[in-house]
Amino acid sequence: MDDKRGRFEAEVLPHLNAAYRFARWLSHSPGDVDDVVQEALLRAFRGFDALRGSDVKAWLLAIVRNCHATALKQQQRRAFVPLPEEHDPRDGYAMIAATPDPESASIRRDDARSLERLLSALPEEHREVLVLREIEDLDYRAIATITNVPIGTVMSRLARARAGLKARWLTEVEGERRGVR
Amino acid sequence: MECAESLRVQAYFDGEVDALSAADIERHVEHCAECRALLQDLERTRTAIRRDLTPGRAPPELHARIRQALDQETAVNTPRPNRWGRTTWRTQPFWVGALGGIGSAAVAATLAYLVLSPSITNPLLDDLVAAHVRSLMPSHLTDVVSTDRHTVKPWFAGHTDVSPVVADFAQQGYRLIGGRADYLDHQRSAVVVYQHGAHVINVFSWSASRGALPGNTTRGGYHLAFWKAGDLEYCAVSDTGWDELLGLARLLRDLSSRDDRE
Repeated sequence: MDDKRGRFEAEVLPHLNAAYRFARWLSHSPGDVDDVVQEALLRAFRGFDALRGSDVKAWLLAIVRNCHATALKQQQRRAFVPLPEEHDPRDGYAMIAATPDPESASIRRDDARSLERLLSALPEEHREVLVLREIEDLDYRAIATITNVPIGTVMSRLARARAGLKARWLTEVEGERRGVR
Repeated sequence: MECAESLRVQAYFDGEVDALSAADIERHVEHCAECRALLQDLERTRTAIRRDLTPGRAPPELHARIRQALDQETAVNTPRPNRWGRTTWRTQPFWVGALGGIGSAAVAATLAYLVLSPSITNPLLDDLVAAHVRSLMPSHLTDVVSTDRHTVKPWFAGHTDVSPVVADFAQQGYRLIGGRADYLDHQRSAVVVYQHGAHVINVFSWSASRGALPGNTTRGGYHLAFWKAGDLEYCAVSDTGWDELLGLARLLRDLSSRDDRE
């Protein structure tokens, strides 16, 4: 039993930060993120014996996504927390505030905030593939496993997510920048 | 409006195509202004995201909570699905716990399915095990016998379609004993042969192609560990224990990622 715990800590816990980041991007209410991640880690621990795949990170993130969906369904059914109509940009900002980049000037921070906001405004199914690809640096196959769709769907969602983000991001931020330079 | 090649260009940008397709796409991009612009946009979006969004880290309190929950999980033998939660989990009636149980069962079932299903349907697994067993027959193991990676690696260039990572991990217990060419999945794959104790480990490698790589599995008493590195797919086959097999897989993967960075 201790051996299982040891292996779990060595192989799964290193991906805790990725699980936390992913849950943050999925969730609209930051208060639930910790609960979702904790539940996911416990489920992962219970299912750890069955894990034979080499990609532990994708496996864990798939569980995080399931836990998020379960939590969301419970909330909706019980109407404990009404879903916000508009996304609060501070929700996402808390995530980068945790480790401030020492060199970041205020311009950089403004960029980050508007990029956060634009990313958060994407439809969830677009946002998650983009986050998994660009922030978690996962390949198509891992993303397909996590989001439970065929690779072709990953590719088209990724394309639409990037196009959607680019259209807004490049006009909003890069446009202003070009003026400054 | 949109170029029909845009998804392939995106796959090229994401490093998801083999060398042959990559050359093909590069030729296309030379002639297609739209796809050139697409590549630039992809690059700028990625740069912006990776530059500006500092990776978040789980707060220390969460680390502590999870360790505590794991402590309880390992200490108590009678699981009560409701006990670890904070506010939301705790204030909910018993059926939420019951649902959680069903959820775990569903996760377990899904995992079991993911783990088992490729081995039921994938002919590649049979090929790999057959090739491994064949290699154990007298004088089939290696085409080039050498413990020197500088001998084995160039040999592949003339005999196979791929150039996998080759290294001697004698210090870690995996002795390089040679290389071999094998026909697998309609291409000439490279096989690097290691010895671990009394066991032979064949490490097959081939160009990454369509379709999902099977999950790690066991066939006829042989363990098969799969992974992907760069544009190659690898499979290590042996009758050693999982730990030994995955240990070699880890060493090779680390080596590939080091090579990539250099």
